[in-house]
Amino acid sequence: MASVYIPVQNSEEEVRVNLDQLPRDASDILDILKAEQAPLDLWLIIAREYFKQGKVDQFRQILEEGASPEIDEYYADIRYERIAILNALGAYYSYLGKIETKQREKEEHFILATQYYNKASRIDMHEPSTWVGKGQLLLAKGEVEQASAAFKIVLDGDRDNVPALLGQACVEFNRGRFSDSLELYKRALQVFPNCPAAVRLGIGLCRYKLGQFEKARQAFERVLQLDPENVEALVALAIMDLRANEAVGIRKGMVKMQRAFELYPYCAMALNYLANHFFFTGQHFLVEQLTETALAVTNHGPTKSHSYYNLARSYHSKGDYDKAGVYYMASVKEISKPHEFVFPYYGLGQVQIKLGDFRSALSNFEKVLEVYPDNCETLKALAYIYVQLGQTDKGHEFIRKATKIDPRDAQAFLELGELLILSDTGAALDAFKTARTLFKKGGEDVPIELLNNIGVLQFERGEFELAKQTFKEALGDGIWLSFFSEANKTSIDAATSTLQFKDMQLFHDLESNGHHVEVPWDKVTVLFNLARLLEQLNESGTASVLYRLILFKYPDYIDAYLRLAAIAKARNNILLSIELVNDALKVDVKCPNALSMLGELELKNDDWVKAKETLRRASDATDGKDSYATLSLGNWNYFAAVRNEKRNPKLEATHLEKAKELYTRVMIQHSANLYAANGAAVVFAEKGHFDVSKDIFAQVQEAASGSVFVQMPDVWINLAHVYFAQGNFALAVKMYQNCLRKFYHNTDSQILLYLARTHYEAEQWQDCIKTLQRAIHLAPSNYTLRFDAGVAMQKFSASTLQKAKRTADEVRATVAGLQNAVRIFSQLSAASNLHIHGFDEKKIDTHVGYCTHLLSAAKVHLEAAEREEQQIRQRQELARQVALAEEARRKAEEQRKIQMDRRKHEDELKIVQQQEENFKRVKEQWKSSTHSKRRERSDDEDGGTAEKKRRKGGKRRKKDKHSKSHNDTEEAEADMMDEQEMEDEDVDMNSREEPQTQMNDDEENPHGLLALAGLEDSDADDEPAGPPSTISRRRQALSESDDDQPIMRQTSPVREQSVDMEESDGEIRDEKRHEDDGSDEEK
Amino acid sequence: MKLAGIKSIDNAHDDSVWAVTWAPATATRPPLLLTGSLDETVRLWKSDDLVLERTNTGHCLGVASVAAHPLGSIAASSSLDSFVRVFDVDSNATIATLEAPPSEVWQMRFDPKGAILAVAGGGSASVNLWDTSTWELVVTLSIPRVEGPKPSDKSGSKKFVLSVAWSPDGKRLACGSMDGTISVFDVQRAKFLHHLEGHFMPVRSLVYSPYDPRLLFSASDDGNVHMYDAEGKALVGTMSGHASWVLCVDVSPDGAAIATGSSDRTVRLWDLNMRASVQTMSNHTDQVWGVAFRPPGGNDVRSGRLASVSDDKSISLYDYS
Repeated sequence: MASVYIPVQNSEEEVRVNLDQLPRDASDILDILKAEQAPLDLWLIIAREYFKQGKVDQFRQILEEGASPEIDEYYADIRYERIAILNALGAYYSYLGKIETKQREKEEHFILATQYYNKASRIDMHEPSTWVGKGQLLLAKGEVEQASAAFKIVLDGDRDNVPALLGQACVEFNRGRFSDSLELYKRALQVFPNCPAAVRLGIGLCRYKLGQFEKARQAFERVLQLDPENVEALVALAIMDLRANEAVGIRKGMVKMQRAFELYPYCAMALNYLANHFFFTGQHFLVEQLTETALAVTNHGPTKSHSYYNLARSYHSKGDYDKAGVYYMASVKEISKPHEFVFPYYGLGQVQIKLGDFRSALSNFEKVLEVYPDNCETLKALAYIYVQLGQTDKGHEFIRKATKIDPRDAQAFLELGELLILSDTGAALDAFKTARTLFKKGGEDVPIELLNNIGVLQFERGEFELAKQTFKEALGDGIWLSFFSEANKTSIDAATSTLQFKDMQLFHDLESNGHHVEVPWDKVTVLFNLARLLEQLNESGTASVLYRLILFKYPDYIDAYLRLAAIAKARNNILLSIELVNDALKVDVKCPNALSMLGELELKNDDWVKAKETLRRASDATDGKDSYATLSLGNWNYFAAVRNEKRNPKLEATHLEKAKELYTRVMIQHSANLYAANGAAVVFAEKGHFDVSKDIFAQVQEAASGSVFVQMPDVWINLAHVYFAQGNFALAVKMYQNCLRKFYHNTDSQILLYLARTHYEAEQWQDCIKTLQRAIHLAPSNYTLRFDAGVAMQKFSASTLQKAKRTADEVRATVAGLQNAVRIFSQLSAASNLHIHGFDEKKIDTHVGYCTHLLSAAKVHLEAAEREEQQIRQRQELARQVALAEEARRKAEEQRKIQMDRRKHEDELKIVQQQEENFKRVKEQWKSSTHSKRRERSDDEDGGTAEKKRRKGGKRRKKDKHSKSHNDTEEAEADMMDEQEMEDEDVDMNSREEPQTQMNDDEENPHGLLALAGLEDSDADDEPAGPPSTISRRRQALSESDDDQPIMRQTSPVREQSVDMEESDGEIRDEKRHEDDGSDEEK
Repeated sequence: MKLAGIKSIDNAHDDSVWAVTWAPATATRPPLLLTGSLDETVRLWKSDDLVLERTNTGHCLGVASVAAHPLGSIAASSSLDSFVRVFDVDSNATIATLEAPPSEVWQMRFDPKGAILAVAGGGSASVNLWDTSTWELVVTLSIPRVEGPKPSDKSGSKKFVLSVAWSPDGKRLACGSMDGTISVFDVQRAKFLHHLEGHFMPVRSLVYSPYDPRLLFSASDDGNVHMYDAEGKALVGTMSGHASWVLCVDVSPDGAAIATGSSDRTVRLWDLNMRASVQTMSNHTDQVWGVAFRPPGGNDVRSGRLASVSDDKSISLYDYS
């Protein structure tokens, strides 16, 4: 039992003080010490003992007493001990200052410490221990250079002074000169081999910093041998174990860490590492507790920063972005330079992205990039931010840099592709393909979303077969194989049920046969896209089975219903289509796409009022933001304007205005909406502003070219209409023909009708008749076309007859043409007895009458022409005879000359007389022929009256022409409208064609006839009720007929497509996010 | 099974070629190819070189259909003016001129025995049968009016008869109409049997399998080819693939394949076992209005031939094997 003996003054006795049993009240001891004037070293010993026992107050009491001026006076010549006491106090306050977290008190402690040391210095300037103490104090204050100077003073005096050596080592360590530090530690150890374990700890740390991990480990282990409870060594070893990054190492490390924690629960480093560990094991509660403790026990900036970082990460991974952001921020605040600890910046950036604060995130990621200029994750994050901020170019730059730095980072290429999708699909596709190759090379599974995106891009670029391969690859193995792989086709005959659009029996059968009918959720989109592609490839049967497969498993997949409805619609099965759309509406009553489609179908069914309501509902369902619904309503109004039978001008104007307003509304929302532009241009054309509308059409046409999904034949037709209205027939013809070939496989009889009408106006009768025949061939049941053909033939014949010069062949052709016309008209008149085609029998009869009349006239013409031909022939004959006669006469004269016979002369005279008679007869013949001519002329005059009539008609026609051009424009507009509608339809995939067709159907027959009648002047005469308005109506009818349907069909795919794309994007984005998290974790 | 192009004649007619058929070989000559065109002529071609044998004039409007008697000596052509001209294939002598107003004339087909000529009557919703010895109208097979809930019958949805086909035994006659329905008649009893449903767009061409009197193929504007059990009223299968209207269909003499022509400018060959398109010929530059397999008979029975005609004014001949 250790004890000290305090010599009793003036005696030989000693007071024995048991060190283990020091009195609680230090004053007792102090009294003794003072009373006995005990040597100062005893004071020190006792104070130290108090300190060791943790009785700091007593320690301080004794020392402060020992440093009091009284003592100074009393022990004035005992310098060393006094210095020792002062130094002890200095050291104590240095320590207090060092561990104090509050800045003000910290300062106070340091000031006190400085005072004590200064006092010690005053006693002896050269006392090394004072210098050492000062050095320590300076170190604690962070004034490394001054500390170094202090230690140096000591070492200059005694180069083996251990505390100075240690201090200097510490200085060098802090300066980052680890090898120098190591040298100093080593020297200290040589000088004082039994020095405390801490020296070896220093050695270990130096070695560790120098990268000599084995030696470091040995040093730490030695420390532990000497002092099994040395927390620092334990922590150091544990960190080394953890760094080893092997399961065994980590486990060993954690054991050590835990032991360190048990030994001393307030070591911030250990706490942080433990927290780190529990973060990875997912025990977030422990993480928070540990880091909070760590934060409470340390004020060391980097350590705190680490703790905050741990805490933030924990919240980040739990998805509590707000809290995570706060802690990341706290962590960042503890860091003076980003170089020291950059992770929290990264985390903060991520959280800010999540919270939408892109600008702050940007600056944080830029800081990370300063430290790690080649960090791909950071580059990708920055790229993402720039894209979000709308600086797409910069985004591209960063992501491209990332792909350059690590050309094997499939993820980077994937993101690059996503960035490029909007701007440059070709480059996007390349990026995706690279990503795919990289995934494959890396032996990883290619993400389904990636394949899906590749497929969609290929689809969009028209590389259908490639897209099919890609989608199939994405789908992999599954029940769907049995529906489209040819090998299996015979085993499961899907074809039989292709028409039963709602038939799920097929799948039930498969299930009951032991097949597993399963569609993983992540493959639904791909399956849908494949089905869309099959539709595009015209394999609608298979597509329908796939859609039904989707619905079998996911009965809420509205798009599949809508596609099935679209297929049914393409097959003209309107009722089924409506049924399917209603199924979709059962899933979501407000689905705007389904409502729009329903509206279109109702229009097709001629349900105008219902359709308008449905379209309104669709528009309301999206707060008027769905341009398709708005455009549909615009089209509805346009049709209403053009359609009205009574042609109420007021109503027409209102409808037109309304239509224009709706188009304009769409244009305001989406300035690039082709269909709205088209619609607006149609309204312009309707109002006669052809130049404006032509400009717009031309722009729309240009914009619409280039994508598989945007097909706008309407705009072509509208342009052609405008050309037509402006009298530029050649261009109009070209436009119509191109449109027909490009979009309709030459199957659209309506466009043929436009074409015929253009030929008619251009007076190219043969072309007109041929074109009409083609149209009849395509649409045999459209009797209007026949009527038109009849009219064209009639007109052709009439115009031939009016010609000043004509050959008999021409006249013959005319007669044939008229006969054909009569036949056609009489057939029509017979047919109209059978069916209701809207033909006015009377009118047909008039035509028949007129044609027969023309025919009889033509027959006369023919006769005349033929007679003329005969006469010409006769004349030739006559001339020949005359020549013969002359010849005979010459011969006779010769004879006369030879014979010189008078009698014969007489005979000659006789012959001459005879000849003269002959001549007379010929003359008479001539006369009679002129007479007949005259008769003919009278015939002509008849014709003339007819002509006159016609001329009257012609006048009317001129008037008509006005109206006609009007009409034309209207037609053009109508067409345009149609086109617009089609566009609208694109948007929603459905609909607008029907209205037009219906209108056509309704009006076309009557109007079409009227229109044709309008073409023929005589018709105008015939038609009492045929004022210009009817004609115009007719024309409109013509124009209306234009063709919305095809467009609609095409458009719908686009929509879906885009939807798909969005979905896939979403998925991909999610993935990205996961990856980010992952990268965090790695860090 | 495949097609190999043998020869194509560009500008075989002055305008679109709309109709094609084979006049079978007779004792004195090999089979001839007959084509009808918008240029109002019918032309006869010697295979395999497609040498123009003769040009028949006489129609006033485009020739929409040609049909040849199974014995090969007689043929009929019809144009949009709804006259049917029956003529001697070898001499071009007119045998008869048929018309049955107000019926129009669309597709025509001789029955397998050659006793009757069936003529699709368009808007009259009927098929007219003409006796081929007297050239008198035997009977008119009318499609019964459907008591539909659709009073506002549009012109497109009427039973406008476009196409006809004879079953190989000559007992059944099927006709296709604008609204997509196919009607089946019992010829002997002159009785309407039933409709075949599935198409909703015009059926422009029909053909029975040469071996199975129940199996009927139909081509429709909806882009699909349907296979029906014409007796059982059942849709047996559909084949999709054409990008536009399917305008014509013909079945190969061996019954293993069908060929179709479409507005998408292609001719497709379909394997009936696989029910899939096995080949697509894209040599035409406009819609293909007619395809016709050469009937067996004559000297070189074994080599199959397919002819196709198109709006591009050309005729193409393929080897089918």
